[in-house]
Amino acid sequence: MFHRESGYYKTSYASDSALYPLPIARFAVAGFAILFFVVAPLLVSSYYLTILNLVGIAIVGAIGLNILLGLTGQISIGHAAFMSVGAYTAANLATRFDLPFWITLPAGGLMAASIGIIVGFPSVRIKGLYLAISTLAAQFIIDWIIVHTPAISGGFQASIQVPRPTVFGAVLDTQRELYMFILVVVVIAIVVALNIARSRIGRAFIAIRDQDIAAEILGIDVRRYKLMAFAISSFYAGVAGVLYTYYSGVANNEFFPLVVSIDYLAMVIIGGMGSVLGAIFGATFVTLLPIAIDLVMTSVGPYLIEDAGALSGIKSHMRLVVFGGLIMFFLVVEPEGLNRLWLNIRSYFRVWPFSY
Amino acid sequence: MKRILASIAVAGGLAAMTAAHAGEIVIGQMTDRTGPTANVGNPVGDGAQDYIDLINSQGGINGHTIRLVEVDNQYKVPPAVEGYQRFKSEGAVLVGLFGTPITQALTADLAKDKIPGTTPGFGTALAADGEAFPYLFPAAASYWSQAGAAVEYAKQQMGGLKGKKIAYLFYDNPAGREGLPVLRKLAELEGYTLNEFPVPAPGIEMDNQARDIARRFRADFVISHLFGRAPSVQINALKRAGFSLDKVVSFVWGASEADVAAAGGFEAAEGYAGLQFAGVGDDFQVRRDIKAMLKAQGKEVRESMASTVFYNRGLLISALHVEALRHAVAANGGKADVTGTQVRDGFHAIKDFSLGGLLPPLNLGGGDHEGGGWVRVFKVTKTGFEPATEWFKGYRDVVFELIKEESAKMKN
Amino acid sequence: MDMFAVWYFVETTINGALIGLMYALIALGFVLIYKSTDAINFAQGQFVMISGVMVAALAADYGVPIVVGAIVALVFMILFNVMLERIVLRPMIGRPVVAIIMATIGLAAFLEGLFPMIFGATTRALDLGIPNDPIIIGQIYLTPINVVGGAVALTFFGAFSIFFMKSRKGVALRAVADNHQVSMAMGINVERYFVLAWSMAGVVAVLGGLLWGSAIGVDNTLAVVGLKVFPVVILGGLESIIGAIVGGIIVGVIEAWGGTYIDPAMTQPWFREFFPFEGGGTKDFLPYLLMIVVLFFKPYGLFGKVHIERV
Repeated sequence: MFHRESGYYKTSYASDSALYPLPIARFAVAGFAILFFVVAPLLVSSYYLTILNLVGIAIVGAIGLNILLGLTGQISIGHAAFMSVGAYTAANLATRFDLPFWITLPAGGLMAASIGIIVGFPSVRIKGLYLAISTLAAQFIIDWIIVHTPAISGGFQASIQVPRPTVFGAVLDTQRELYMFILVVVVIAIVVALNIARSRIGRAFIAIRDQDIAAEILGIDVRRYKLMAFAISSFYAGVAGVLYTYYSGVANNEFFPLVVSIDYLAMVIIGGMGSVLGAIFGATFVTLLPIAIDLVMTSVGPYLIEDAGALSGIKSHMRLVVFGGLIMFFLVVEPEGLNRLWLNIRSYFRVWPFSY
Repeated sequence: MKRILASIAVAGGLAAMTAAHAGEIVIGQMTDRTGPTANVGNPVGDGAQDYIDLINSQGGINGHTIRLVEVDNQYKVPPAVEGYQRFKSEGAVLVGLFGTPITQALTADLAKDKIPGTTPGFGTALAADGEAFPYLFPAAASYWSQAGAAVEYAKQQMGGLKGKKIAYLFYDNPAGREGLPVLRKLAELEGYTLNEFPVPAPGIEMDNQARDIARRFRADFVISHLFGRAPSVQINALKRAGFSLDKVVSFVWGASEADVAAAGGFEAAEGYAGLQFAGVGDDFQVRRDIKAMLKAQGKEVRESMASTVFYNRGLLISALHVEALRHAVAANGGKADVTGTQVRDGFHAIKDFSLGGLLPPLNLGGGDHEGGGWVRVFKVTKTGFEPATEWFKGYRDVVFELIKEESAKMKN
Repeated sequence: MDMFAVWYFVETTINGALIGLMYALIALGFVLIYKSTDAINFAQGQFVMISGVMVAALAADYGVPIVVGAIVALVFMILFNVMLERIVLRPMIGRPVVAIIMATIGLAAFLEGLFPMIFGATTRALDLGIPNDPIIIGQIYLTPINVVGGAVALTFFGAFSIFFMKSRKGVALRAVADNHQVSMAMGINVERYFVLAWSMAGVVAVLGGLLWGSAIGVDNTLAVVGLKVFPVVILGGLESIIGAIVGGIIVGVIEAWGGTYIDPAMTQPWFREFFPFEGGGTKDFLPYLLMIVVLFFKPYGLFGKVHIERV
């Protein structure tokens, strides 16, 4: 409607895998950059910035899981444990050695990545459900070790207070300042993930996902790439964990229980496996859905149910019902997730006003 | 694009509820009506809501109505962070927190925003130190105080502790292990043998630990600190191992009607004792008032009121909030636009507040935000919970010394 | 206090094995479905929970006898499972494992919200009339509920084994499990056998709900028994009923030994000085550790079928 795609011919492999397939993509990216870097922090209230912050952290984690699950086809139900690893690594470095965030952030990611490689080892031999459950075991084992080792967790409460990040001497502690901090990390995370997907590594991942034996015959070192996928994915999770730590000012293992791993799985699957955009959609959707249900029920509920106490109970349980129901609905009706819906909308407008 | 559309949709939902209206005071209350601790969250949330309704039906505070904004945090951190900001955007001057990880996550924000938060029965024991945590009010016995009181109770029951064997049966998570420093320290001071029996999550099977306590370690007394389904499992497991329930005392989250019911009812759990930081039972003026109010408004008395242990804790939470607000409003010349700092001073002004016997005589001034660490033991009889002691504190000096030591360590 | 008394070892092992059989009962529901329909059900714990809640709520709130309540729950579970199979899981046949896992996780959330709305969130007891006093044989104490649970579990395992080995329907179900298309070509009505498998899983869930409900009380948290399923099925192998029993017993016994011999050592002061650990319960986490070790050597579990993959 706004833009015709005719006339742009891809004459080389490089142009086919370019980051900006069409000139309009550059304008769109510039538009989003202005929106999120300038307009949002200036105009949006601190409550909505909080939501954006939570969405941003979720995006980092979801992109990471998407690399493992969507690109490489390996299941992990232990994503939250890697966030925990990242969080405690950063917290220990920040409190014991007074290291700034630009060291602790990658350090947390690297530590998570190395643990991720260990957890990924079974993937060399097993797949499918067996792998899913061995990562579930990893979730429990990592959690157990962290909680029971005071040297890591900092004592009985297993929580470490962490000073907020500082940039050029200024402490970032309002939602607005933290928003800019998280946004920069999110942008880097997205750009790196897009480039991984279109590079040799990404193509190897996809080959393994589609048929790992065939990939091996083609000369791809399956073992190496599987472990690499675990490492990259855990790195992202670790970074998300560090972001949580700086965001709330404390590292605590109870931030990262099994249900959080499951939430991230839901993000990748609802968003659409295998695409970065899908992970972004998924993270946004899963973070916003409970809030939206809650707000709708809060504003509509009093007209239906007079008793405030009874309403609170119904509201909470209703949220679970809708959440669970939507997950099932999406999986049955739109297996390729929100990303597919978006592509459908786009292709509708691409040929508008015709239907094909 | 998607993001903006979604936030517009959310904004539509919010349109009806903006910042506090004139003459209205907003309290943010977190609960956990879903999630792993839902069996606690529902009755606590109902109690908190009903007390506010009661105060409003009596004309509010100095004519100002109170609006309770409730957020279900599901015992997860992101919803709690979002909920806290929602409270702030609605102009809350006081926040009732719920859950230890949530408390951890919001402590820094509360101090920065100068909004007092209450954390009865969870969070760190160190929060008792009002100098270290000026905006956090546990306002009820922390796990450390409970540990002290439990040992005191064991001492009374056995007539001395020297050479006795005490088993600490605890949920193997940070909150469950929090009793340990006090129990270990008191073991040195009082000369009892302490054996620790961790129960890993989810604690639905305790056959092993119970037989170990009863048959190998042969404990003289059991102090237990369990959550969720585990307390009821413990009651049955100890009975099946042949251990008398008369020699058991539980921390505050392990002795409710729900636990007794799940263990097979009052007759089955007879003798089991639990520490409480709010009174148990129906015989309180405030509960009669709430029933009268519900009746006058044509509402049914809700099911959760029968869960008196948790429901009464909900009453405690809101009663404390209202009391602090009363002091704050009075200090503000009777006007509703109180600030968080005024509310904090309102908490400090609470003196000998007992809500007709439902609470211990609470004093939150003088740097002790825990209000003294009072507890009362209630024992299970054939018909219900009966008080076995008066309100008491155990080894308060030892506990407070530990608190000071630890918070000094934290500052460095 | 003799740490290593023989009678205590025997007592611990027997009780552990009996509890393991009760785990295996829950795992059986999982295996039945996986074996015949390839669907992975992460909501097995929630199935147990809803049947327990239903029986307990009918008994407590409406005075329905447990036996009648159990029959109502049985009928409901069978209908529910058949509907679930038809509406949610059949359209997903052939989709990646993770999609099916996620769908059942969604189902779990759905049920955890729905049932408290219908029956209330209160905790209820489920009294089957099993006494609490220990059964004493010589020096050894056995827990009655474990004995009953173990016996019921064994009976059902026997019945299912005979069904799968001897009856015509059982053999057909095994054929379906082996290969849907070939079975269809041989004239087996595959869809009807899916319904049968899901109905049997419903029956097992009701049994689990009754036994575990009477052991630990009934509310939403009953669903956590579902987490015990995974080490059991992985150790035993996903396609094997015998495997579920052996896996269950291994998990139960390992937990019992860990709780009896490792945990007490780990909580001693000398241990804390020696290792930088704050001692804790290894009990529930040992089965997972063992499971990972086993997976390294036998990637399809102890009794699982080895898949030969072709490109």
